[in-house]
Parts: sequence; C-alpha cells; structure tokens
Amino acid sequence: MKKFKIILAAFGMICMSQSVSAQKNTFSLDLNYNYSMPLGGFKSDIISNNSPRGFMVGLMYSISDNLSVGLGFGFQDYYQKYPRALYPLGKSQEVSAVLTNSVQTTPILLQAKYYPLSATYLKPYISLGAGANIIAFNQYLGEFGSSATNVEFRAQGGLGLMIPFKKYSSSGINVGAIYDYSPYNKNGYHDLNNVNFQAGVIINLK
Amino acid sequence: MKRHLIMLLGLACMSFIYTGCTKEPLNNLSDEESRIYITDHDSSVNFTNYKTFSISDSVAVIDNGQMTKHLDGVDSAYISAVTKYMEQYGYTLVSNEQNPDVGVDVNRIISTSTGVISYGDYWGSYDSYWDPYYWGYPGYGYYVPYAYSVYQIKEGAISVDMLDLKNALQDKKINVIWTGLIRGSGIFYPTVADSQVKALFDLSPYLKTN
Repeated sequence: MKKFKIILAAFGMICMSQSVSAQKNTFSLDLNYNYSMPLGGFKSDIISNNSPRGFMVGLMYSISDNLSVGLGFGFQDYYQKYPRALYPLGKSQEVSAVLTNSVQTTPILLQAKYYPLSATYLKPYISLGAGANIIAFNQYLGEFGSSATNVEFRAQGGLGLMIPFKKYSSSGINVGAIYDYSPYNKNGYHDLNNVNFQAGVIINLK
Repeated sequence: MKRHLIMLLGLACMSFIYTGCTKEPLNNLSDEESRIYITDHDSSVNFTNYKTFSISDSVAVIDNGQMTKHLDGVDSAYISAVTKYMEQYGYTLVSNEQNPDVGVDVNRIISTSTGVISYGDYWGSYDSYWDPYYWGYPGYGYYVPYAYSVYQIKEGAISVDMLDLKNALQDKKINVIWTGLIRGSGIFYPTVADSQVKALFDLSPYLKTN
C-alpha cells in the first residue's frame, strides 16, 4: 500500500509539473503485443514458463511534448503443466496427480509516459503505471480444478522507445520493457511479479 | 485511412490473443494426465499384522447414493488387478469362510448429475453398500477414522477399500484401514484396470506385509 501511495504521488507530481507547460492536447492509442516472464515467487511457486500470450492497450492524453497520461488495460495468459507428482492432502492422505496452474491477469492502470528527449527523432521514454489487477487463478489436479478470481494492486515501471513512422510524426512503432510489481497473497503465494517485453504501435488520434 | 487500418489490425490481433490464444488446461491433458489417485489409511495400523485377505466377488456400483452389485468385464478386471497387487504385497487370498484378516471391496462411484456428492455421504451409507453380514459379521457397524474432503464429482470414480476383519470381533466394528480412489477420464475400461490399481498400490508401500 505504501508503494502504491508513493507511485501515485510520483504520478501526480509529474502531471502537475508538466501541465503548466502543456503544448499538445492530443490523444493517442497504444497497441502492444506483450511477452511476459514470471519472476520471484510467481516463477518459483506457480508458473515458470514465459507467456507469449498477452497484449496491452492504452489510451493516452498528451499534456505536453514530454508527458502523456492515460488509462491502460491488458491481458496475459500464463500456463504450466507439471509432471505427475505426489501431493499431501492430509495427515495420511496423498494424491498422485498432474498439476496444472493457469493464471490470467487483466490489469487496469493509470499510466504516464515521460519523454525526456522530445525533440529527437527517436523518442525514448520512461513509463509508470498503477492500478488494479484482476487475477483469475485456476489450479487443476488432473482434470479436477479449483478457481479463484481476485482483484489486487499492481504497479509498473518501464523503459521504451518510440520510433516515429516519419519525422515529426507522433505515431510510430513502440518497443519497451516493463517491470510489474504484482502482489498476490492467496493460498500461501506472495506475488505474480513479472517483466514484460512489448512491441506495438502508437497511433495519434488527433 | 492508413492509421485506421493499423488500429483495426492491432485491435484484431488483441482480440485474437484474448479469445483464441489462452491455453485451456483441460484441452491439454491426455486421459492419463487427467487421472488422480488418492490414498488414505489408518496411520495407527501396522499392516504387517495382516496376512490373508478375501475380495468381494462383485463391484458395488454406487450411483447417486443407490447401490447395485455389478460384475462385467471392467469389474472383473479391477477385481483381478486388486487381487494381483494384494498378492504381490504379500497377502494370501482365502475365502470368506477361512476368516481372512482383511476384506477388500471395489466400488464404482457414479454421478449422473452435475450436483455435488461428498465422500462423507459415501462413508455414511457404507453399511448399506456392504452389509457386514457379507464379511461374516452381521449386525456390526463400520468405523471410518478419516474422511475424504468434499469433491465435486461429475462422472465416475473407482474406490478400493481394505477392511480390518482380523480385529472386528475385538473392536465390535469393522475398521476401514485403507482406501484408494481413482478418478479421471477413461478409467472404465478393462485394459486400463491393471495400471490404475498399480498406481494406487505404488502410492501405498506401507501396505506390504513383509
């Protein structure tokens, strides 16, 4: 929660500091394919497989040449099937099963992108985001499953590069990497932290 | 125009990822992977104290709480497989009249509905499925020192139970000292019975008599 407040405060300070020098008031649509790699407890306890099944969409409002803010949402599907193993169910009870973990995350985030070199052709940026993460966790022993859906906090920070389609264009190709801080304190698990690699387009909506 | 095309293409790709590219766990399981094997036992029992066993001559088919005795190719295959692995674990097959130390029965638990059946219900009616008279102890009740958790059953399961007949007179009840449960796809075929029962016994090395 403390981290959430810090991120929100940083987000607000960036917005306030830039709004006085706002030069462009345009909307853009960010469409990105997302490749996600689990980290930490997510990787060691739930799913270690990388996920190539994801995307992130953002509707951003440019309040200056350097800063845009907006709302983003996404989807990522994680899956892993573990070989048959023994699992204790009770004091004297055991089950032999193939364990499958399936996790789908749908983040809905307030986002900000800061472009420190707005005058250059290539536009590197720093991104921040914070908001809610809708998590569907399905666990199967053989074909017998249990599922739980929870809403948790999520924050992210990343670096990226916008490559305009042509000089002075505010539409272009986007590539970036994002670290997601994603707590998940259920059933003895602690986090769904991950790092993401994105590629897509930024389309200026004018 | 170009901008709109790129946007549409991007949104279409994302819709495809959302609807078509998620890995559906159940679609990625073979029959063998779909199965689970659960065993439980009375941890206070020393199985080396038991040497002989008798096995039921048919299978109790428990369909939504209603029991019928049944014997077809599948049932015979399971009874034969249980007999085989009991003998491999050192038990000697005897008839009911020869006062076996252990009674073994095989059950098919089937739900034809999508409702919930708890195994607590299964144990609660155990004496109606297997009348203690069958084991030579008319009027006795069963004592079950443990219970499965509650499961949702939408198809069938096979359970194998070991009953303590050796101490029934002394205890004035028939203790269920071991139980094994097989659940999953494709278990009601004679050809898979041996491997399914083997999986249960592999989970229970403590059953060995020597």
